[in-house]
Amino acid sequence: MTDSAPANMPGAREVVLALADDELCIGQNLAWWIAVGPFLEEDLALTSISQDELGHARALYGLLGDDIDALAYGRQPHEYRSAHLTELPCRDWGETLVRHFLYDTAETVRWAALTNSSWEALGAVARRALAEERSHLRHASGLLSRLLRTEEGRSQLLPLFDRFTPLACELFELPPGCSHDALLADGVMNRSMSDQRAEWQGAVDEAVASAGYQPQWPADSANAAAASGRAGQRSAHFAALHAEMVEVLSIDPSAVW
Amino acid sequence: MEAAPVSTAAMEAAVFEAVSTVCDPEYPEITIAELGILERVTANGDSSAVRIELVPTMLGCPALDVIADDVTAAARSACVGSDVSVEVVFVAEPVWTPDRIAPGAVSFLAREYSVAVRRSHSDRAVPTATCPICGNDALEHRSDFGPTPCRSVEWCPSCRNPIEVVGRVEFPAAIGAAQASPAAAGTAQVSAASA
Repeated sequence: MTDSAPANMPGAREVVLALADDELCIGQNLAWWIAVGPFLEEDLALTSISQDELGHARALYGLLGDDIDALAYGRQPHEYRSAHLTELPCRDWGETLVRHFLYDTAETVRWAALTNSSWEALGAVARRALAEERSHLRHASGLLSRLLRTEEGRSQLLPLFDRFTPLACELFELPPGCSHDALLADGVMNRSMSDQRAEWQGAVDEAVASAGYQPQWPADSANAAAASGRAGQRSAHFAALHAEMVEVLSIDPSAVW
Repeated sequence: MEAAPVSTAAMEAAVFEAVSTVCDPEYPEITIAELGILERVTANGDSSAVRIELVPTMLGCPALDVIADDVTAAARSACVGSDVSVEVVFVAEPVWTPDRIAPGAVSFLAREYSVAVRRSHSDRAVPTATCPICGNDALEHRSDFGPTPCRSVEWCPSCRNPIEVVGRVEFPAAIGAAQASPAAAGTAQVSAASA
């Protein structure tokens, strides 16, 4: 008996599906770090965050239907809406840290825009998730600011910002067919994605400004054109990621989360 | 045998009592009621359906399914002989905090597991924990991430032991204070296990 999106809120379900797919992919990718993190505390941190993100995915899928497994694992690749940033393996820890910072900074902004959603159940999940996100952001920001005080940290991490920020902008894109105006008018979210993106860019700029750096941000129009993950086109990394997710289910279709 | 009609209030009380005894998978001597996970039990007017609302410690807690199964079984045992549908749901609100843990369970965790609990104190700005080994209440934070999603790691400079603490520093930093007022509890379902 899920409190599903009211029929009079067009686009709401599509937005939730995109957010859920982001969480699923990032959670699965972070889980890779179990036992291979650069130090023990980081091992525990990344995999705890992985569990949190998968929990958030589960809560979001739960808003869309009762069969969470079918939603999470049972769709065709073109039916996923994940931003390509979340599909990147990031097997280099520096890559994982920069992606983690960009993603969790974005999430904090995105959840905040949903906390008083007119879709009551979505608002409740957003408030609950936002409470957990604070520890993620504290972790990412703390490591980043400390490492950017070193020459090695700057030389390794700063170039990754220019590589990842164009992809990260997709986190603020809506799936095709969703109308911003309708989502705002219906109160599904309380701020436009472009306002949210601006706040996020400001936070990212501020975090790297101390290192004398300014990320190159793509123009809004270029960003919209690059939103291929939201449109159903999967990146080259998705197939392997998905195969890993469904490995147990493919052996035992009756397995549950 | 035909079951005797049961009043809604009697059924709610019976099921609440039964599911109150369900223990946490991680700490098998402590009940979900003592941990503040059990929120409420409601039955419908003709007592044909009962709904049990649980508050997850963390949305990503891997023990949620085990707890839901145990709660379902306990509720069924309280309704033997009647054809009652049992629904177990995890609600997003209210938000669980370590302050929901009963004082007796806090003492037990300290004594038997050497696990501390981050608690609110009227004379402190933020919730803090006390060393379960030596009683020092000035622990040093090490990491928000410990052996389970709901436990962080601190260090006791007095007895020089690493301490597991239930609850992250930033979690949940007075949710509701900075955000819009929460919706009524009960509408905030995050997952369901129906039986």
